[in-house]
Amino acid sequence: MKILIIEDEEELSKSIVAYLKAETYSCEVANNYKTAIEKTESFDYDCILLDISLPDGNGLQVLKELKANNKTDGVIIISARDSMQDRITGLNLGADDYLPKPFHLPELSARIAAVIRRRKFDGSSILTLNELSINTDAKAVTVLNKPVDLTRTEYDLLLYLATNKNSVVSKNAIAERISGDEAEVFDNFDFIYAHIKNLKKKLAASGCADYIKAIYRMGYKFEI
Amino acid sequence: MQLLNKTIASYFSFSAVLLLAAIPIFYFALKTALIDTADEELLATKTRIMPQLRNAVVNHDQGNLYLYGYDIVFEKEQPTKNRDSMYSDELGGLYSNKQSPSRLLASHFTINQEFYSLRIKTSLADKLALIKRIILILSLLLVALLLGLLVINRILTKKIWQPFYTTLKRLQDYRVDKQPVLKSEPASVKEFNDLNRAIELLTERNYQVYTSQKEFTENASHEMQSPLAVFQSKLELLMQTKPLNEDQAALISDLANASKRMSRLNKSLILLTKIENNQFLKKESLSVKDILQKLLQQYEFQIGQQSIHIAFDDAMDITLNANKSLVEILLGNLLSNAIRHNVSNGNIQIYLKEKELVIQNSGKPSSLDTQKLFQRFQKNSPDADSIGLGLEIAKKICSLNHYSLEYRFIGLLHTFSVRF
Repeated sequence: MKILIIEDEEELSKSIVAYLKAETYSCEVANNYKTAIEKTESFDYDCILLDISLPDGNGLQVLKELKANNKTDGVIIISARDSMQDRITGLNLGADDYLPKPFHLPELSARIAAVIRRRKFDGSSILTLNELSINTDAKAVTVLNKPVDLTRTEYDLLLYLATNKNSVVSKNAIAERISGDEAEVFDNFDFIYAHIKNLKKKLAASGCADYIKAIYRMGYKFEI
Repeated sequence: MQLLNKTIASYFSFSAVLLLAAIPIFYFALKTALIDTADEELLATKTRIMPQLRNAVVNHDQGNLYLYGYDIVFEKEQPTKNRDSMYSDELGGLYSNKQSPSRLLASHFTINQEFYSLRIKTSLADKLALIKRIILILSLLLVALLLGLLVINRILTKKIWQPFYTTLKRLQDYRVDKQPVLKSEPASVKEFNDLNRAIELLTERNYQVYTSQKEFTENASHEMQSPLAVFQSKLELLMQTKPLNEDQAALISDLANASKRMSRLNKSLILLTKIENNQFLKKESLSVKDILQKLLQQYEFQIGQQSIHIAFDDAMDITLNANKSLVEILLGNLLSNAIRHNVSNGNIQIYLKEKELVIQNSGKPSSLDTQKLFQRFQKNSPDADSIGLGLEIAKKICSLNHYSLEYRFIGLLHTFSVRF
């Protein structure tokens, strides 16, 4: 899977590349508008991460060019300006998602995976990890072909950890994923622990190996 | 005391004193002049009738003497050294039955070695009546003059001060976040024009300072987002490194929490500037009850964890026409505060009344400092969760929508009420 990162903040793009490489994506970086246009014109990408404010142009213009050339690359806008207007403009121009900075890398990875699933498999995709398979279309989980009854939160949690497999996902990232903006209200991670406990119990009961590991104080990891 | 009344009061007291003093002085001056005239008349009468009297005495023909009625008394008297005298008879009736103030001339002289006295009286009644009438008319005139002056003065000063009051009213209504500069129409008085110009400059400078401060917060918050994003991403990469011992993991986790707080603070600051910049324009019809129920559901875990008992009196609903995100933030802040600052096994009471929402919660058994409550970074708890912007945001949202937000401490319950 090829990802293009259009981002002028070099350290941030380096972080993104490092994280996504571990997730087996191949990444390219464009740190200005000119390079971005050149790259998008010459190559196709599965997903493009697009920063709106570039030193020599507006990222939205890149998006317009892509759409004008009938390119089907998925686009996620990553912007420091979390404004409703930017979000609406971006999505209206055909962006697939909008992620305000600062974001969690696992969140970015999950969003990229979702965009690629939508683009490549028309929304129906089955993520198979040994005996565990997650149907992201039906939002259903089976272990050894037997369905596992999970709550909405438990399903989200499992998919989130699985798309970031073999990476530590911090508690903050999980809290934000599960409860959205509400995670900003309470600094209480006990509810994550409660959900993980239930999820692990249900998976174990249906014969799934214990893939979800607690990483001391930092978070959780889906290890496979 | 109003400025207008203050100047008028000085005029009025001066005029009143002058009037009170002037009327008696005038009365006495007039009276003296009248008496002088009467005396001259008496002397003239005496001079006129003296030859007649002398003739009558010499010819022993007093019976035919025509003495002008009762006003002249002419008779023989014992020798006397009295000289001519004039005096007033205030009550009258001294030499006649007619009761009226009069002026008398008593004269003593000799004709053929015999002593005679002559008394001539002239009535002052008519003259005094005249004085009284003059004084009355004069007083009326003076009072009318005084009142007229007062009224004219009042109308005039009011008119002259009109630009001042206009400016004052506009200054009272002035909000630096609503109006860039306070412009006034030119006035006819130089001082007021100077005042208006000074105010214009002052408000203009104020607005500049205000906008640059606002821009600073805005830019600083936005510029902060990128380094924060870098910091957070590097921390998350650091989490992936191996091997990590427990000490390192603990340090990274603490850093992650600090970074989360920083980004939360930053987001709140951006939200505040957005509210101040009035960037939430889209309005829709909202049910307060629905939003509260949704929020309670969202906070279910935290409520359950502290075993907080919720009493939600939702017999009534309030429908608002406002921006959804803002109302959700407002109610979310109030509700999460009620949860966060609560105690274990505490309670929260929510009442929906007509046009009013009341949220009460148990917690610290003393009132919060109402002076500082709604100010930026005024934390009422040592809790690290709270960043001290929640209530300021709530207050800003309320003032933007013209709601009123109040805090009271009633019967050990912290009570926040929003009047829509």
